[in-house]
Amino acid sequence: MLVEQELIERARGGDTAAFNEMVLAYRKRILGTISRLIGRPEDVEDVAQEVFVRLYYSLDQLRTAEVFEPWLYRLTVNASYDYLRRSKRRGESRMSDLSEQQVMMADAMAGGKQDAEDRQRGEIREFVDALFQHVSEEDRLLLTLKEVEGLSLKELEKIYRVNENALKVRLFRARQRVLKAYNAATADGKL
Amino acid sequence: MMNQDESGLDELLRSYRSACPDVEPGPLFMPMLWQKIEARHSFWWVFQGFARTAMAGCAALALLLLALNLAGPQPGLPSPSYTDALVADHSAEKMYYAESVITRQPVQMDDSRY
Repeated sequence: MLVEQELIERARGGDTAAFNEMVLAYRKRILGTISRLIGRPEDVEDVAQEVFVRLYYSLDQLRTAEVFEPWLYRLTVNASYDYLRRSKRRGESRMSDLSEQQVMMADAMAGGKQDAEDRQRGEIREFVDALFQHVSEEDRLLLTLKEVEGLSLKELEKIYRVNENALKVRLFRARQRVLKAYNAATADGKL
Repeated sequence: MMNQDESGLDELLRSYRSACPDVEPGPLFMPMLWQKIEARHSFWWVFQGFARTAMAGCAALALLLLALNLAGPQPGLPSPSYTDALVADHSAEKMYYAESVITRQPVQMDDSRY
């Protein structure tokens, strides 16, 4: 854990300085996770703030300080999922939904002159985002937490509050779909 | 072949992790966060105030209705129903009509016709 249990207890008791300290300790990690979950850098801060607002108002429901991190991840997953649903309703698109030409135009309009390394990173992001479109939003979030964030099944079990076997089955199916899309893409020579 | 694909995908996901840039929080992150917390707090405060007022109003109304109910007709005496009241009000008319019917001469039937 990034913070002491005593700090969490103080924040639970309404100590705003302790809450501030907690946010400062976790915000970078949460921002990183959200950035990989939602894929829109411009909205990452908004979603992260929503996570911490929800944390502030739900701290009193936290049973013990030991379950704080899974609790925070759970809030992060829920806030990201809510954001994605709202964006879907509004018909917004991720960068990977756009055609290559549109992306190039967007880059040109943003005045971005990427060097070779940055361009390669961008291509990897777009490729993986495109692969993840072969699974539902829920499965994409789960797969990202497991395969990209590196969370263990035990941690995911605490976050999702479902048993390990159900998670394994879901992850396996989602991964198979992504693998199939990956095989098709490599056969087409996209990678 | 399948294992190669699996390891290829694993490697791709690892490179995806490093290809995603770290997001640095902006200077306004904390002030904006507290603004949002305060905004939600004031919403809840207004909502709770409204809920408390509504509950107090409902309780007062319930007490008033209870008091009116207790101050009404004494228990034990049957309260006249609406139809009872109507019958009582029109009893004079009824009597007049009944009397007029009674004062008429009874019709004599001629049994020989049948």
